[in-house]
Amino acid sequence: MNKQPRTAVILCTCSGIISEKIDWDAVQAQLAEHPDKPVVTTDELACGAENLEKLAAWLKEHQPERVVVAACSPREHERTFRGLLASAGINPYYLQMINVREQVAWVTADPGEATRKAARLIGAALKRVRHHQPLVERHVPVRTDVAVIGAGPAGIQAALTLARAGRRVTLIEKEPFFGGMPVRFEELFPNLECGPCLLEPGMGELLHGPESEHIELLTLTEVTEVKGSFGNWQLSLRQQPRYVNPELCIGCMVCAAVCPERRENPWNCGGELAAVDGPFVGALPNLPHVDAARCLKLNGQECGACLAECPVEGALDFGDTIRDSVVEAGAIIVATGAEELPVAPPAFAGKDNVFSAYSFERLLAMTGPSGGELVKGDGAAPASLAIVQCAGSFDDAVTYCSGTCCQAALKYAHIAAAKQEGLTVTRLVREQVVAGVNAARLFSHDHSQVVRYGGLGDLTVAETDRGRVIVCGSNGAEVPADMIVLCGPTVPGQGTTQTARLLELGVDDAGFIAPIHALSGSFLSPLKGVYLAGTCRGPGDIREAFASGTAAAGVALSELVEGRDLTVDPQVAVVAAEQCAGCKSCIRVCPYKAISWDDATKTADISDILCRGCGTCVAVCPAGAITAQGFSRAMLRAEIEGVLS
Amino acid sequence: MSCRTMPNVAPHPAAEMVAASAPGEVRIVAFLCNWCSYAGADKTGMNQLPVPAEVSVVRVMCSGRVEPTLILETFQKGADGVMVLACHPGDCHYKEGNLRAFCRAELLERMMPQLGVDPARFYFDYVSAAEAEKFSQVTNDFVAAVRGLAGTDSGR
Repeated sequence: MNKQPRTAVILCTCSGIISEKIDWDAVQAQLAEHPDKPVVTTDELACGAENLEKLAAWLKEHQPERVVVAACSPREHERTFRGLLASAGINPYYLQMINVREQVAWVTADPGEATRKAARLIGAALKRVRHHQPLVERHVPVRTDVAVIGAGPAGIQAALTLARAGRRVTLIEKEPFFGGMPVRFEELFPNLECGPCLLEPGMGELLHGPESEHIELLTLTEVTEVKGSFGNWQLSLRQQPRYVNPELCIGCMVCAAVCPERRENPWNCGGELAAVDGPFVGALPNLPHVDAARCLKLNGQECGACLAECPVEGALDFGDTIRDSVVEAGAIIVATGAEELPVAPPAFAGKDNVFSAYSFERLLAMTGPSGGELVKGDGAAPASLAIVQCAGSFDDAVTYCSGTCCQAALKYAHIAAAKQEGLTVTRLVREQVVAGVNAARLFSHDHSQVVRYGGLGDLTVAETDRGRVIVCGSNGAEVPADMIVLCGPTVPGQGTTQTARLLELGVDDAGFIAPIHALSGSFLSPLKGVYLAGTCRGPGDIREAFASGTAAAGVALSELVEGRDLTVDPQVAVVAAEQCAGCKSCIRVCPYKAISWDDATKTADISDILCRGCGTCVAVCPAGAITAQGFSRAMLRAEIEGVLS
Repeated sequence: MSCRTMPNVAPHPAAEMVAASAPGEVRIVAFLCNWCSYAGADKTGMNQLPVPAEVSVVRVMCSGRVEPTLILETFQKGADGVMVLACHPGDCHYKEGNLRAFCRAELLERMMPQLGVDPARFYFDYVSAAEAEKFSQVTNDFVAAVRGLAGTDSGR
């Protein structure tokens, strides 16, 4: 450093609170001898509005190139004094604040010691500010529209909330219909409300209401690539052909009635679908879709049954193809959901009349494979129902409690008993977790037998002369089990796993997307501009899905505002490309995926939009190629030298 | 890295007395992260709890910013002790910077004897924004401990 920059020092007495301990006159006398020859003023209350005006005038008069303010914590007033510098025409980042109130005056008993310490810290700041750079906040225009991945309750709620605020939303759903899991549940715990009735008004609004103008729902669509950053994301989408023109189709399903080909219905857990069909009655959008693997016509055979009967010319479109597109959005809301553990415990695998929780939901549903009749595979009514709770939880593979299955089990017991008089219902439980005021009512309606079991290894299924039973090894109980429901744990949905991988988001031990903070930031991913809603964050119920959908939309609305640019904090890390050795250590440690690899120059590159200025990359760079602006090595060294001199 | 310790120098009986009786004789640099430990230090002030004047705080945004070489440089520049205080595990404002700081601290402590600096002169801990008492405690304890080293083999 050749010439010392002219520096101004402002000493605040904090209405006498600081000067009670620190003798500013002595410090001022000492500064008069300082080789940097700083200009110094003492102020009664530097943060006061009037005083700030006076200080701005004083700074304008002296025109310093750097400013040191010895006052309170920078956590409280750094912004205030940066503003002061700006108002005096000085770059705000030429400021260094010394915390002489909280960290000197209030913690040091002896005034002499406090004064010496304050002088020492000011000396260090004088050394530090020489290295300050004139940083400039950058303003970047941002898109205010949002892409929502996953159209279950959380995604729908987020999309509607955003659309009501006039935001354009692209709602991306990989299934041919939307509504997620609960739209397929006839009744929801704890109050046995009708799932479709709860969801369909919102779904109808989304499709046909005033909000529909702002929302583009893309079914049969998956995200294949995500590029960009906060405010400017580009999502590459791939939409599978439906072979049905949604603009023309009236949803009469005549095509399904005349289709000669049959396939299994994966959404109904039983029953069949025609090759052109809707997944279940009431699924929205009310459109059939063609299974390309099963359609005779698409497989080169002579068939045109559906085309012949379709009342609307052009509604069936066998020329439909895969559509690749790119959607631009300012923010992304991930609402990709969860699913039940897809494997049955060994004791039950491959046995007849064993239902997973989801397939039992469908069996109970009026629109399900048996029209809501409680029947076994052979069409006969069961005499007994055994509901195994924690079927896979607290296990080696799934160590946690999903927190929802107990309520679901109580619901199944209640509905099944109501559907069939005289049905023996037994719940096999390890732990019971039924929290909340309403949920407790489920117990008051529960007439099922309760058998405790120790672990899945405890249970075997046996045929006896009294019919099929589940034998509980540890206590010898034999539970009549004509029909068995396994309430297994909730695990991350396929879409959640895929999206986490695409966005390079971290996952927790169970594979759910890890938010930035489990308590205070559970709707925020570590990636700026990517928000989380619903069960992609962990098991939860529909109430949680609605709440988190609204919350994620709220965050998007507050962070992306029409006409408001993104202000990029300049106190970020920057790479000196010529010094970068290309080891990629920084890329590995960045918690925000802010560092990318430039393959052309073989160097690391830091996005100032994504960087939050923690400096972890600075510490890890073996080449010293990264600088934390505002906390550079030179600044810290000067400060260290200062406090030690 | 120069070796700053003076091995095999017989401790002078007065050295310890001077070090123990005169505050200011030892110089401690404490790197505090902005979000937890610096806030904890502020809270110590609000609660009017004592912090030795020998401790000079250097604020960084994250404890993960403090590389081992910076700590060694601090010793080189004459510090008698260096503290790095971080957010508690799981509480890091930047997710995991504190854990990186912890790993580096562990390694540094093992290296320090080779570099001629007594590991007792280095202190790593977690201090939350609420832990005013802890900040007061660890700074006082560390200053006392470093003062106690004066005149020993690792005295400077």
